[in-house]
Amino acid sequence: MINNALKSHIAKAIVHWSLLALVVLYFVTGLGITQYRAVEAFTFGLLTKTLSFKVHNNLWFPFLVLLVLHIYQRIGKPNRTYK
Amino acid sequence: MIRKIGGALGLSIILAGALFAVTNCKPKETGQLAPVEVREYQGQKLSSVNDFRENSIKGPQKVNINNYKLSITGLVKNPEEYTYAQILQNYQSYEKVVTLNCVEGWSATVLWKGFLAKDLIAEAGPLSEARVIIFHAYDGYTTSFPIEYIMNNDILIAYHMNGASLLPERGFPFQLVAESKWGYKWIKWITKIELSDDTNYRGYWEKRGYSNTGDLDKGFFDND
Repeated sequence: MINNALKSHIAKAIVHWSLLALVVLYFVTGLGITQYRAVEAFTFGLLTKTLSFKVHNNLWFPFLVLLVLHIYQRIGKPNRTYK
Repeated sequence: MIRKIGGALGLSIILAGALFAVTNCKPKETGQLAPVEVREYQGQKLSSVNDFRENSIKGPQKVNINNYKLSITGLVKNPEEYTYAQILQNYQSYEKVVTLNCVEGWSATVLWKGFLAKDLIAEAGPLSEARVIIFHAYDGYTTSFPIEYIMNNDILIAYHMNGASLLPERGFPFQLVAESKWGYKWIKWITKIELSDDTNYRGYWEKRGYSNTGDLDKGFFDND
Protein backbone atom coordinates (compact mmCIF):
# COMPACT_ATOMS: atom_id res chain seq x y z
CA MET A 1 0.00 0.00 0.00
CA ILE A 2 2.77 2.38 1.01
CA ASN A 3 4.73 1.32 -2.02
CA ASN A 4 1.82 2.13 -4.32
CA ALA A 5 1.32 5.54 -2.71
CA LEU A 6 5.03 6.21 -3.03
CA LYS A 7 4.99 5.13 -6.66
CA SER A 8 2.00 7.36 -7.32
CA HIS A 9 3.76 10.27 -5.67
CA ILE A 10 6.91 9.72 -7.72
CA ALA A 11 4.86 9.45 -10.93
CA LYS A 12 3.09 12.70 -10.09
CA ALA A 13 6.37 14.41 -9.34
CA ILE A 14 7.85 13.22 -12.63
CA VAL A 15 4.84 14.52 -14.58
CA HIS A 16 4.79 17.83 -12.73
CA TRP A 17 8.48 18.53 -13.13
CA SER A 18 8.52 17.34 -16.75
CA LEU A 19 5.61 19.62 -17.53
CA LEU A 20 7.38 22.53 -15.90
CA ALA A 21 10.55 21.77 -17.87
CA LEU A 22 8.52 21.57 -21.07
CA VAL A 23 6.80 24.90 -20.41
CA VAL A 24 10.19 26.52 -19.83
CA LEU A 25 11.54 24.88 -23.00
CA TYR A 26 8.51 26.09 -24.95
CA PHE A 27 9.14 29.61 -23.69
CA VAL A 28 12.89 29.57 -24.32
CA THR A 29 12.60 28.09 -27.82
CA GLY A 30 9.88 30.64 -28.59
CA LEU A 31 12.34 33.35 -27.63
CA GLY A 32 14.95 31.50 -29.65
CA ILE A 33 12.79 32.17 -32.70
CA THR A 34 11.70 35.75 -32.15
CA GLN A 35 14.76 37.01 -30.23
CA TYR A 36 17.26 34.68 -31.80
CA ARG A 37 20.24 37.03 -31.76
CA ALA A 38 20.05 37.44 -27.99
CA VAL A 39 19.28 33.78 -27.29
CA GLU A 40 22.10 32.56 -29.52
CA ALA A 41 24.54 34.84 -27.74
CA PHE A 42 23.19 33.89 -24.29
CA THR A 43 23.47 30.15 -25.01
CA PHE A 44 26.91 30.55 -26.67
CA GLY A 45 25.49 29.59 -30.04
CA LEU A 46 23.96 26.37 -28.74
CA LEU A 47 20.31 27.30 -29.27
CA THR A 48 20.15 28.61 -32.82
CA LYS A 49 17.03 29.86 -34.51
CA THR A 50 16.85 26.75 -36.67
CA LEU A 51 17.14 24.46 -33.64
CA SER A 52 14.59 26.56 -31.74
CA PHE A 53 12.13 26.16 -34.59
CA LYS A 54 12.65 22.42 -34.79
CA VAL A 55 12.28 21.91 -31.04
CA HIS A 56 9.40 24.38 -30.62
CA ASN A 57 7.40 22.88 -33.47
CA ASN A 58 7.76 19.36 -32.05
CA LEU A 59 6.90 20.14 -28.45
CA TRP A 60 3.13 20.26 -28.81
CA PHE A 61 2.59 16.50 -28.59
CA PRO A 62 4.67 15.75 -25.45
CA PHE A 63 3.23 18.93 -23.94
CA LEU A 64 -0.32 17.71 -24.62
CA VAL A 65 0.42 14.25 -23.19
CA LEU A 66 1.97 15.67 -20.02
CA LEU A 67 -0.83 18.18 -19.61
CA VAL A 68 -3.48 15.45 -19.86
CA LEU A 69 -1.56 13.29 -17.37
CA HIS A 70 -1.19 16.23 -15.03
CA ILE A 71 -4.92 17.01 -15.14
CA TYR A 72 -5.77 13.33 -14.72
CA GLN A 73 -3.53 13.06 -11.69
CA ARG A 74 -5.20 16.04 -10.08
CA ILE A 75 -8.81 15.39 -11.06
CA GLY A 76 -8.95 11.63 -11.68
CA LYS A 77 -7.54 10.73 -8.30
CA PRO A 78 -7.88 12.75 -5.12
CA ASN A 79 -4.73 13.75 -3.26
CA ARG A 80 -3.31 10.98 -1.19
CA THR A 81 -0.69 11.23 1.45
CA TYR A 82 1.75 8.49 2.24
CA LYS A 83 3.57 7.81 5.46
CA MET B 1 -0.51 112.12 -23.09
CA ILE B 2 -3.64 110.11 -23.62
CA ARG B 3 -3.79 111.33 -27.22
CA LYS B 4 -0.16 110.21 -27.76
CA ILE B 5 -0.87 106.72 -26.38
CA GLY B 6 -4.04 106.49 -28.46
CA GLY B 7 -2.10 107.59 -31.54
CA ALA B 8 0.65 105.01 -30.94
CA LEU B 9 -1.95 102.29 -30.39
CA GLY B 10 -3.80 103.24 -33.56
CA LEU B 11 -0.58 103.28 -35.56
CA SER B 12 0.35 99.85 -34.17
CA ILE B 13 -3.02 98.44 -35.18
CA ILE B 14 -2.70 99.85 -38.69
CA LEU B 15 0.85 98.47 -39.05
CA ALA B 16 -0.19 95.06 -37.75
CA GLY B 17 -3.13 95.01 -40.16
CA ALA B 18 -0.87 95.96 -43.06
CA LEU B 19 1.66 93.26 -42.10
CA PHE B 20 -1.11 90.67 -41.84
CA ALA B 21 -2.45 91.66 -45.26
CA VAL B 22 1.02 91.47 -46.87
CA THR B 23 1.88 88.06 -45.41
CA ASN B 24 -1.49 86.64 -46.39
CA CYS B 25 -1.35 87.94 -49.95
CA LYS B 26 2.06 86.38 -50.56
CA PRO B 27 1.77 82.77 -51.79
CA LYS B 28 3.19 80.39 -49.22
CA GLU B 29 5.85 77.86 -50.07
CA THR B 30 4.89 74.20 -49.89
CA GLY B 31 6.15 72.67 -46.69
CA GLN B 32 7.57 69.18 -46.42
CA LEU B 33 5.66 66.89 -44.09
CA ALA B 34 6.74 63.44 -43.02
CA PRO B 35 5.61 60.80 -45.53
CA VAL B 36 2.30 59.19 -44.68
CA GLU B 37 1.85 55.60 -45.62
CA VAL B 38 -1.14 54.41 -47.63
CA ARG B 39 -3.26 51.97 -45.62
CA GLU B 40 -5.76 50.99 -48.31
CA TYR B 41 -5.20 50.41 -52.01
CA GLN B 42 -7.97 49.67 -54.51
CA GLY B 43 -10.23 48.48 -51.72
CA GLN B 44 -7.56 46.28 -50.19
CA LYS B 45 -6.50 46.94 -46.62
CA LEU B 46 -2.76 47.24 -46.18
CA SER B 47 -0.55 46.53 -43.22
CA SER B 48 1.47 49.25 -41.60
CA VAL B 49 5.25 49.46 -41.81
CA ASN B 50 5.09 49.01 -38.05
CA ASP B 51 3.50 45.57 -38.43
CA PHE B 52 6.85 44.09 -39.39
CA ARG B 53 8.97 42.47 -36.73
CA GLU B 54 12.66 43.18 -36.72
CA ASN B 55 14.43 39.88 -37.28
CA SER B 56 17.44 40.67 -39.42
CA ILE B 57 20.77 39.00 -38.69
CA LYS B 58 22.59 42.12 -37.46
CA GLY B 59 19.80 44.57 -36.72
CA PRO B 60 18.64 47.50 -38.87
CA GLN B 61 21.33 48.82 -41.22
CA LYS B 62 21.83 52.51 -41.88
CA VAL B 63 23.05 52.75 -45.46
CA ASN B 64 24.70 56.04 -46.41
CA ILE B 65 22.99 56.84 -49.68
CA ASN B 66 25.81 59.20 -50.74
CA ASN B 67 28.28 56.30 -50.89
CA TYR B 68 25.76 53.65 -51.89
CA LYS B 69 26.23 51.61 -55.07
CA LEU B 70 24.15 48.72 -56.34
CA SER B 71 26.44 46.46 -58.33
CA ILE B 72 25.59 43.71 -60.75
CA THR B 73 28.42 41.26 -61.20
CA GLY B 74 29.37 37.69 -62.01
CA LEU B 75 28.30 35.97 -65.19
CA VAL B 76 27.15 39.06 -67.06
CA LYS B 77 28.44 40.76 -70.20
CA ASN B 78 28.37 44.25 -68.68
CA PRO B 79 29.06 44.39 -64.95
CA GLU B 80 27.75 47.69 -63.70
CA GLU B 81 27.35 49.86 -60.63
CA TYR B 82 24.45 52.20 -60.06
CA THR B 83 23.75 54.93 -57.58
CA TYR B 84 20.35 55.12 -55.90
CA ALA B 85 19.40 58.11 -58.06
CA GLN B 86 20.42 56.35 -61.27
CA ILE B 87 18.18 53.41 -60.46
CA LEU B 88 15.21 55.66 -59.72
CA GLN B 89 15.75 57.73 -62.87
CA ASN B 90 16.63 55.00 -65.37
CA TYR B 91 14.25 52.18 -64.58
CA GLN B 92 10.51 52.02 -65.08
CA SER B 93 8.73 51.85 -61.75
CA TYR B 94 5.89 49.45 -60.96
CA GLU B 95 3.48 49.03 -58.07
CA LYS B 96 2.07 45.84 -56.67
CA VAL B 97 0.36 44.67 -53.51
CA VAL B 98 2.19 41.61 -52.19
CA THR B 99 2.01 39.82 -48.84
CA LEU B 100 5.16 38.89 -47.00
CA ASN B 101 4.79 35.69 -44.96
CA CYS B 102 7.40 35.23 -42.29
CA VAL B 103 8.40 31.80 -41.02
CA GLU B 104 7.78 33.16 -37.51
CA GLY B 105 4.06 33.12 -38.25
CA TRP B 106 3.23 36.75 -38.98
CA SER B 107 2.48 38.36 -42.33
CA ALA B 108 2.18 41.86 -43.80
CA THR B 109 0.37 43.00 -46.94
CA VAL B 110 2.03 46.03 -48.46
CA LEU B 111 1.83 48.18 -51.58
CA TRP B 112 5.35 47.91 -52.98
CA LYS B 113 6.84 50.24 -55.55
CA GLY B 114 10.08 49.55 -57.32
CA PHE B 115 11.70 48.37 -60.50
CA LEU B 116 11.78 44.93 -62.02
CA ALA B 117 14.83 42.84 -61.17
CA LYS B 118 14.73 41.34 -64.64
CA ASP B 119 15.08 44.80 -66.27
CA LEU B 120 18.34 45.41 -64.44
CA ILE B 121 19.69 41.92 -65.13
CA ALA B 122 18.67 42.00 -68.79
CA GLU B 123 20.58 45.23 -69.24
CA ALA B 124 23.69 43.64 -67.72
CA GLY B 125 23.33 40.78 -70.21
CA PRO B 126 23.39 37.44 -68.40
CA LEU B 127 25.75 34.87 -69.88
CA SER B 128 24.32 31.53 -70.94
CA GLU B 129 26.16 29.72 -68.08
CA ALA B 130 24.33 31.75 -65.43
CA ARG B 131 21.99 29.54 -63.43
CA VAL B 132 21.60 31.28 -60.12
CA ILE B 133 21.13 34.87 -58.99
CA ILE B 134 22.69 35.63 -55.62
CA PHE B 135 21.58 38.74 -53.76
CA HIS B 136 23.99 40.25 -51.25
CA ALA B 137 23.01 42.68 -48.52
CA TYR B 138 24.83 45.42 -46.64
CA ASP B 139 24.90 43.33 -43.44
CA GLY B 140 26.43 40.26 -45.11
CA TYR B 141 23.12 38.45 -45.57
CA THR B 142 22.69 36.55 -48.83
CA THR B 143 20.02 34.53 -50.57
CA SER B 144 19.75 33.04 -54.03
CA PHE B 145 17.18 32.14 -56.67
CA PRO B 146 17.20 30.18 -59.89
CA ILE B 147 17.61 32.65 -62.76
CA GLU B 148 14.25 31.56 -64.21
CA TYR B 149 12.40 32.74 -61.09
CA ILE B 150 13.69 36.30 -61.54
CA MET B 151 13.60 36.47 -65.34
CA ASN B 152 10.23 34.75 -65.88
CA ASN B 153 8.32 36.64 -63.18
CA ASP B 154 7.72 40.30 -62.44
CA ILE B 155 9.83 40.38 -59.30
CA LEU B 156 10.19 43.85 -57.85
CA ILE B 157 13.17 45.38 -56.15
CA ALA B 158 11.28 47.87 -54.01
CA TYR B 159 12.24 51.32 -52.82
CA HIS B 160 8.81 52.45 -51.60
CA MET B 161 6.29 50.73 -49.39
CA ASN B 162 2.76 52.03 -48.87
CA GLY B 163 3.64 55.20 -50.79
CA ALA B 164 6.59 56.18 -48.62
CA SER B 165 10.30 55.58 -49.01
CA LEU B 166 11.61 52.42 -47.35
CA LEU B 167 12.72 52.98 -43.78
CA PRO B 168 16.22 51.85 -42.74
CA GLU B 169 14.74 49.02 -40.67
CA ARG B 170 12.68 47.90 -43.66
CA GLY B 171 15.62 47.64 -46.02
CA PHE B 172 16.41 51.10 -47.38
CA PRO B 173 17.47 51.60 -50.11
CA PHE B 174 16.24 48.37 -51.75
CA GLN B 175 14.33 45.27 -50.70
CA LEU B 176 13.51 42.31 -52.88
CA VAL B 177 9.79 41.53 -53.11
CA ALA B 178 10.16 37.78 -53.52
CA GLU B 179 6.50 36.97 -53.95
CA SER B 180 5.41 33.35 -53.40
CA LYS B 181 8.52 32.87 -51.24
CA TRP B 182 8.97 32.82 -47.47
CA GLY B 183 10.06 36.06 -45.85
CA TYR B 184 13.73 35.06 -45.47
CA LYS B 185 14.03 35.25 -49.28
CA TRP B 186 12.93 38.94 -49.18
CA ILE B 187 16.44 40.28 -48.79
CA LYS B 188 16.79 43.84 -47.48
CA TRP B 189 19.58 46.43 -47.92
CA ILE B 190 20.60 44.93 -51.29
CA THR B 191 24.09 45.98 -52.38
CA LYS B 192 25.07 43.39 -54.96
CA ILE B 193 23.38 41.10 -57.46
CA GLU B 194 25.65 38.31 -58.60
CA LEU B 195 24.94 35.88 -61.40
CA SER B 196 26.54 32.51 -60.87
CA ASP B 197 26.60 28.95 -62.21
CA ASP B 198 26.86 27.50 -58.69
CA THR B 199 23.56 25.69 -58.25
CA ASN B 200 24.76 24.44 -54.86
CA TYR B 201 25.05 27.96 -53.47
CA ARG B 202 23.14 28.44 -50.21
CA GLY B 203 22.29 31.74 -48.59
CA TYR B 204 22.48 32.68 -44.91
CA TRP B 205 19.42 30.81 -43.62
CA GLU B 206 19.59 28.16 -46.33
CA LYS B 207 23.02 27.12 -44.96
CA ARG B 208 21.34 26.76 -41.59
CA GLY B 209 18.73 24.30 -42.82
CA TYR B 210 16.02 26.43 -44.40
CA SER B 211 14.62 25.43 -47.78
CA ASN B 212 16.68 26.79 -50.68
CA THR B 213 13.65 27.39 -52.89
CA GLY B 214 11.73 28.97 -50.00
CA ASP B 215 8.43 28.24 -51.73
CA LEU B 216 5.44 29.36 -49.71
CA ASP B 217 3.44 26.28 -50.61
CA LYS B 218 6.06 24.08 -48.92
CA GLY B 219 7.43 23.99 -45.41
CA PHE B 220 10.49 26.11 -44.86
CA PHE B 221 12.44 23.09 -43.60
CA ASP B 222 11.50 20.98 -46.60
CA ASN B 223 14.52 19.61 -48.42
CA ASP B 224 14.67 20.84 -51.97
